[in-house]
Amino acid sequence: MRITGYRVEQYLMKMDRLVGDANLPSGVEMLPGSILWLETDENVTGVSLGYGGGIESLFGVIEGADPREVVALWIRMNDYLHKGGNEGAASAALSAIDMALWDLKAKLAEEPLWKTLGATAGRVKAYASGLDYCLSDEDLFAFYRRMAEQGIDSGKLKVGLDPKADLRRLGIMRDALSIASPRPGLMIDSNEYWSPKQAVRYIRRLEKHFDLIWVEEPARRWDYDGLRLVSQQVSAAVASGENLHNLADIYPLIANRAVDVINVWTGQSGVTGLMQIAHMAHAHGLQVSMMNAQANYMAQIAAALPNHNMMEVVDPGREHCLKWNHRIEDGYIVLSDDPGYGIEIDEATLKKLQANPPTGRGKFPFPRREGAGRYIVPPAPDEVPWR
Amino acid sequence: MKVTSVKVTPHANALSRRMGEAHAPAGRLTEHCCVVELMTDVGLTGIAIGDEAAITSIEGLVSDVLVGADPRGVRSLWQRMANVQMAKRRGHRLHDAIAALDVALWDLKSKANDEPLWKTLGGTRPKANAYASGIDLALSDEEMSAWYARMARDYGLRGGKLQVGRDRISDLQRLGQMRAALMQGTPEPVLMIDADESWSPKEAIRRTREMEEHFDLAWIEGAARDWDFPGLKQVSSAVRAAVCVGEGFATVGEFLPHFHHRSADVIQIDIGAIGITGALQLADAAFGYELPVALSAAPGNIHAHLAGVMPYFMSLEVIDPIPAEQFYTTDVRIEQGWAIAGDAPGNGLAVTLKAITATATRAKQMK
Repeated sequence: MRITGYRVEQYLMKMDRLVGDANLPSGVEMLPGSILWLETDENVTGVSLGYGGGIESLFGVIEGADPREVVALWIRMNDYLHKGGNEGAASAALSAIDMALWDLKAKLAEEPLWKTLGATAGRVKAYASGLDYCLSDEDLFAFYRRMAEQGIDSGKLKVGLDPKADLRRLGIMRDALSIASPRPGLMIDSNEYWSPKQAVRYIRRLEKHFDLIWVEEPARRWDYDGLRLVSQQVSAAVASGENLHNLADIYPLIANRAVDVINVWTGQSGVTGLMQIAHMAHAHGLQVSMMNAQANYMAQIAAALPNHNMMEVVDPGREHCLKWNHRIEDGYIVLSDDPGYGIEIDEATLKKLQANPPTGRGKFPFPRREGAGRYIVPPAPDEVPWR
Repeated sequence: MKVTSVKVTPHANALSRRMGEAHAPAGRLTEHCCVVELMTDVGLTGIAIGDEAAITSIEGLVSDVLVGADPRGVRSLWQRMANVQMAKRRGHRLHDAIAALDVALWDLKSKANDEPLWKTLGGTRPKANAYASGIDLALSDEEMSAWYARMARDYGLRGGKLQVGRDRISDLQRLGQMRAALMQGTPEPVLMIDADESWSPKEAIRRTREMEEHFDLAWIEGAARDWDFPGLKQVSSAVRAAVCVGEGFATVGEFLPHFHHRSADVIQIDIGAIGITGALQLADAAFGYELPVALSAAPGNIHAHLAGVMPYFMSLEVIDPIPAEQFYTTDVRIEQGWAIAGDAPGNGLAVTLKAITATATRAKQMK
């Protein structure tokens, strides 16, 4: 069993709805996508979703290797990148290759990845996340109610620009979720829009009315002093990590006890890197929470983590060229028994998307909003439907 | 695939030599262990060698947690067994049982894939840096020297770890003798000492500094009590050698004070106490701090399978390059200073039950 080649396809998709946060409350609907196929001499192909650039710079390191040796190959790629650093584009390429290798390892064992990783069940508790700063109050309620109808009892609201509106919308989210639980779990996310002290003032104001499980990115991703300060001064846990890309980046947050929950995903040096982060967090008694993913495929890894609390489900409709059988049941992501990530690529739809790229509002990634970390610029009336 | 039952056979294992450390200076010639055979409905058997004292806990955990479970879900099962430990708080017996069963489950997982454990874990064939460990406090100077000389000559081992805790003159002399013996096979032997937690921090500093006037020590193990992070940090600040900590720990959480206070320079993991699953978690945590990971001795040297997936693996302990007893065979060989795992499916341990009975009788006679 040897790795023989690869293929990358890039495409643009229009999601089924807008998503937005404090940095761009008007929202975006366009999302660039990429797919990597790792080919072998045995007619089994490993797939990874999301990041496809720069593969050519790393492929030589793994060409001809046995994909089942994925952890050793991760170490080899990481060592190869020693001088340049495992950051930026290099991190994206390493992540993409590692993900495809794990898909191969599971497919070769003819089992879903959760089983390869040593989980007993492909079942992960979910929370709803609307990426909802661009949604009207009505659409906000409709989204969380639709999630609650699937048994999901916790939700994460985008906040940061308007405390009064955020309080109102926290109530709307809670009411929508209340059919799933008499005491829905509430989280908020300000996407680094505040300074640490702004965060403390803002969160305490919300905490007068609501019990919050965690606040996400209340300060900058690297600011371990600031994040710890927030954690010490509010009741909620502090979550961060989604914008850091490997264990080395996250090290200061853990070693300095700056955060209580670490947001993890496969862009943090792949499945291997993500597990390293989760394991280091576990050794410090910290929890991890899996980020959202197309078709919720990252639940495959969450199922095997010793300290995973719940995984983000956004469901904005971005699976047009994917086929899968995972589902949500009683508030849990239930993974299928299909091998690997359990995702197949619908090549015909992919070709159509490439031939006729869709058009729509905005595009990832979007920049940081004016005033961030210093003063709040509330949304203009025509910027969001809820003002 | 489902776990159906377990067969645990107690065994008094005759050691290859008299083994002793500071807390048991007289040494011993036998070691009480047990062979764990975890049976499944597909005819595969997971093998581990554990502590005899853990037998009741092993049987209890199998019937409470593992029967009916798919052994390929080993990481979740490890967590489930750890939760039983949380509920019962029964201490080390249960930890040892969990560790032995975890080793047997990983054996089954890789046998189900029809591949060696190192591949199931995601490694390339490990060529793991190894060192000789005589557990030699009860050996005479001559016996000790002869053993290290053989380890360096026949197996190419480039490092040795001496049990200290005799009087200061004797410890110093024996360190020199171990070095001279290792030099029969390697020009610059790596020297380590283990005080078996028998010193106070200040005593460790005085003694280590005295040794360091004559020798370059790679690490000192058991410099103070394993849980004494201020004391171990004090030792680390005062001597050149790395402070190696963790052999006595059976849970991931026990390492936290040492990570947090940086009171360990080398993280030592015993898969017999914390299992393979726990060892993998700890190795990743240590990688976050860029702390080197050392593995404590394992029967049949099966810890070699793990080295390739530990990003900051340093060295593994070898007490016997080949099994001292004939009741099991291993697929790990020690060659030119490396522990190298072969291609046999699973962890490569194979047990001969006939031999168990025979050696048990022999061990009884040796007592």
